[in-house]
Amino acid sequence: MASFRYPIGTVRALLDTDHVTPATRQALQTRLDKQPEQPQFFTPDEADLLHQLSARLFPQPDTRPSIDVVSPVDHRLAHNESDGWRYDLLPADPDAWRQGLNGFQEAAQAQFGKPFTQLDGGQQDDLIGQIQQGTAIGTSFTPLQSKRFFEDMLAELVSLYFSHPLAQEEFGYVGMADKPRWDRVGLNELEAREPGAL
Amino acid sequence: MKTYATNDVVDAVVIGTGAGGAPLLARLAQAGLRVVALEAGSEKDPTKDYATDERAQEFLFWNDERLSAGDNPLAFGSNNSGTGVGGSTLHYTAYTPRAQPDDMLMRTEFGVAANWPVDYHTDIEPYYDELEHFLGISGPSDYPWGPKRKRNYPLPPLPLNGAAQLMQRGCAQLGIRTSPAANAALSGRYYQEGIGWREACTNRGFCQAGCSVGAKASMDVTFIPLARAHGAEIRPDAFVTTFDRDSQGRITAVVYVQNGQTYRQKCTTVFLCAGAVETPRLLLINELANSNGQVGRNVMAHPGLQIWGEFDEDVRPYKGIPGGLISEDTHRPFAGKSADFAGGYLLQSIGVMPVTYVKQMARGRGLWGQALIDAMSRYNHVAGINILGDGLPYDHNYLELSDELDARGLPKPRVYHTDGENEKKMNAHAEKIMRDIWSAAGAKNVWAFPRAAHIIGTCRMGHSPDEAVVNANGQSFDIPNLYISDNSTFPSSLSVNPALTIMALALRTADKFLMMRNK
Ligand SMILES: Cc1cc2nc3c(=O)[nH]c(=O)nc-3n(C[C@H](O)[C@H](O)[C@H](O)COP(=O)(O)OP(=O)(O)OC[C@H]3O[C@@H](n4cnc5c(N)ncnc54)[C@H](O)[C@@H]3O)c2cc1C
Ligand code: SF4
Repeated sequence: MASFRYPIGTVRALLDTDHVTPATRQALQTRLDKQPEQPQFFTPDEADLLHQLSARLFPQPDTRPSIDVVSPVDHRLAHNESDGWRYDLLPADPDAWRQGLNGFQEAAQAQFGKPFTQLDGGQQDDLIGQIQQGTAIGTSFTPLQSKRFFEDMLAELVSLYFSHPLAQEEFGYVGMADKPRWDRVGLNELEAREPGAL
Repeated sequence: MKTYATNDVVDAVVIGTGAGGAPLLARLAQAGLRVVALEAGSEKDPTKDYATDERAQEFLFWNDERLSAGDNPLAFGSNNSGTGVGGSTLHYTAYTPRAQPDDMLMRTEFGVAANWPVDYHTDIEPYYDELEHFLGISGPSDYPWGPKRKRNYPLPPLPLNGAAQLMQRGCAQLGIRTSPAANAALSGRYYQEGIGWREACTNRGFCQAGCSVGAKASMDVTFIPLARAHGAEIRPDAFVTTFDRDSQGRITAVVYVQNGQTYRQKCTTVFLCAGAVETPRLLLINELANSNGQVGRNVMAHPGLQIWGEFDEDVRPYKGIPGGLISEDTHRPFAGKSADFAGGYLLQSIGVMPVTYVKQMARGRGLWGQALIDAMSRYNHVAGINILGDGLPYDHNYLELSDELDARGLPKPRVYHTDGENEKKMNAHAEKIMRDIWSAAGAKNVWAFPRAAHIIGTCRMGHSPDEAVVNANGQSFDIPNLYISDNSTFPSSLSVNPALTIMALALRTADKFLMMRNK
């Protein structure tokens, strides 16, 4: 089974064509142009931790500028915005994130006697796995809270990451070329504007 | 466009413009009534404002926080409910199968849930027929399941995308019958009196993030323009908080907040159509229509287990309507003695937008690191199938008000949801069948995503004021000038997607109201 990875620039080039509606172009162009902002909700340490965590959760290629997922989460929490629901057993989102991120530090101290941000990648991965399984020692969440928090956090971060046009071009997505019809929709049917597998 | 002053005593205020509100609004306006709709969400122009991008479209969802409790907490937001002129139909997948008669008789057949207080053939079927033609439903001429329809679907089925073809292939090998699904998306241009021409579906696969083409029969391009053409006024960004009442307890005005200002719209009748969470929430906040304590009880959800797999073929899951193929061969699986649960389910193929897919991989498989990047690199080879099954009501599943207040200062709702034995057995039965289908179709890396879809119940309709909140016409037992029309009144959840039946009941409620009014 072929993996997809479009050549760098595929999506940017597509945005300049009339294959994309103005509303779609504007949404994607704004995202492409967006620069990271100073955190308003997270402390510098929390922002740094989340940054390092994200690098383990979805390693980014070093051939392009890295996609920032910290700012959008920070913005949401600073403005107390919600995605419509939360697990009842977790505290409100701002508290859950504080406590959840702190859990990585607590677990790192308990196990390695160092902050999470000073561990190597392998050690960080071990702790991430433990938080995900609810087996990390030294944190204030119950095992089920730990699992649920991790699930929520991961879902939010990957949604942000994979809605970025540069991440989308890396898995071969051109669904944003929405202007003409898609007529070739069956198995193995491609339109000219859909690059094939590399 | 017609407008009313808040001091005008209008004939009806309709709260919410989704599947339950919009059809009723149009019907009342067509009968010459003076009607105002209050809608919490805003109004957009899909052709200009909708992007083919999931994140940009998040404004379509009801994003006020709800608390999800129980062992199988329900996901709200994008998995559940919408807001805006058109309600959740703005982002529904537009699968529009009819219920079958036995779906409404679960108590008689299995001794569970409650029978519907209406007759399928006389009270529901004529509305299905009307709706299919009004909405312009695309579907097969010979649908293999359920009673024979009087007329064919007005339009032929939409083309089958990769996921639909794969499901067809897998099912064929196992002897499971399939059919192109009925979809409220136009396979050709369609003309409707009072609305004009609507354009055909361009197969852009984004139904769950809003249709920028107007091909999908969401309420904003069907019943809303019809209602307006007949003089209904629609006020967007109008959030209803409470009601004024007279000494007999009848509602005299609906109180709402628009752009920070509080208004009171005088009226003689209220139709509450805010959906199965906001409707009971509003009633509980105002201690209304709840003398028997039934508001918020009987929460149900559809078991909606999904099975995903990767195929050698190029699938491109973002193309074509997401829901292309259906099978109702599992409508009553116990008939062949293979199941030991009440009710049944249907099978549907699913195409998927990329962010929805990756979010599910995060929640369902817990993938991260290189494993996640690798799995996502095969997105173009991904296809899914899911079920939609009859979920039962239980005492332990209900909605209540929490102590936490939201940004408006209103208590957040808390919804308890824990699967019963019936849902567990149904899911296990369905998982085996779907894995067999996907393996016959050639899938690799198959994985299951347990989930529940749609929230149903909470203001049950029935014959008895002891057990139900509204009668068969949707009228409150406690407050005679209050009606409910939305997903909250279903006595059982049905083994099909709900929207077509919600619309059918909405039209029926309007007709019954008009009949009594004219007496
Ligand atoms: C992703 C997704 C896919 C779906 N796919 C399908 C499908 O394929 N087929 C199908 O049949 N069904 C589908 N559904 C379900 C379907 O959309 C809903 O069942 C249906 O729209 C519910 O109708 P309703 O009238 O109960 O509520 P809604 O359509 O949600 O309408 C309620 C309206 O009330 C408004 N409101 C709420 N509170 C207030 C207030 N206080 N003041 C003013 N207004 C208020 C809301 O803003 C909203 O517009 C899907 C749902 C989702 C989330
Ligand atoms: S697939 Fe068709 S109906 Fe669905 S959003 Fe796209 S154009 Fe509209």
